[in-house]
Amino acid sequence: MASVHKDFHGALSYGLQFVEDNYGREGLDDFLSRLAESVYLPLVDGIRARGLDALHEHLQTIFELEQGEFEMHTQDGVLTLRVHRCPAICHMKEHRYAVAEHFCEHTRIVNEAVCKAAGCRSSVEYDQDAGRCVQRFWKEAP
Amino acid sequence: MISCSEFIWVYNELFKFLDESGGEAKVIEFWKGISDEFLGNLRAYIEAEGLKGMHRYWSHTLGEEGGRHTMTLYDDMFVIDMHDCPSAKLIHHAGRVEPYPKYCEHCRWLYPPLIEEYGYKVDYYILDCQKGRCRMTVRIPPGASTPNAAS
Repeated sequence: MASVHKDFHGALSYGLQFVEDNYGREGLDDFLSRLAESVYLPLVDGIRARGLDALHEHLQTIFELEQGEFEMHTQDGVLTLRVHRCPAICHMKEHRYAVAEHFCEHTRIVNEAVCKAAGCRSSVEYDQDAGRCVQRFWKEAP
Repeated sequence: MISCSEFIWVYNELFKFLDESGGEAKVIEFWKGISDEFLGNLRAYIEAEGLKGMHRYWSHTLGEEGGRHTMTLYDDMFVIDMHDCPSAKLIHHAGRVEPYPKYCEHCRWLYPPLIEEYGYKVDYYILDCQKGRCRMTVRIPPGASTPNAAS
């Protein structure tokens, strides 16, 4: 398994807070939404080509790599990811890094931007303090 | 969740966003903030063991990040020769993002100012950003008060 430098979660958190402090929630939304056109373009292309299977593989890969505690299933065309122990939140708390006030919003914003670009929809319910969330993805009706 | 495995690209995009929104000064402000607020573990290593602590810190972080480099620890000097920075290589050669032209500058603002707070003198040279080559040399100036002198 490839190694990951988990302190990057803390640096990302600092970056998100910096953007919000300087440019507000609108700036945060703008910055993160753009990632769908660059960093996540291969994922967007994968979803367009193979549907939610590509997203399932992506999420499986990163949560295994990060050793998160999660479960994932698809039922009635809805891909559901339940994160019981978020590796980002847990790492930052364990190392006493400041967690950005709206850290988990990045998941909602990035998911929505990726899904919008790929022709699907998403939702997320999270408890940032507990490091838990439920993410759902489904294809848009044609 | 943005994964650590994607962070390098996100970092590059963040630099671009800040530059577009507030100019290079805003990017540098961010880098200084990371140095001041986020590198407490590097500070702890330096305060505990001086140059040897720096060697320990980068053995850990560069070990996790991969790449090819050599580190040399002398009694009065610590040198990192980065031959093939994994971060710069991803940015410039993976074709996933448009590289921020001053991407490699972040190390210049993150590390030398912090280390010099402890009395050391730091030379940092970006030799070739696209090839991921740089060198950082930390010296103990004559008569300087550093954690090395205290230990």
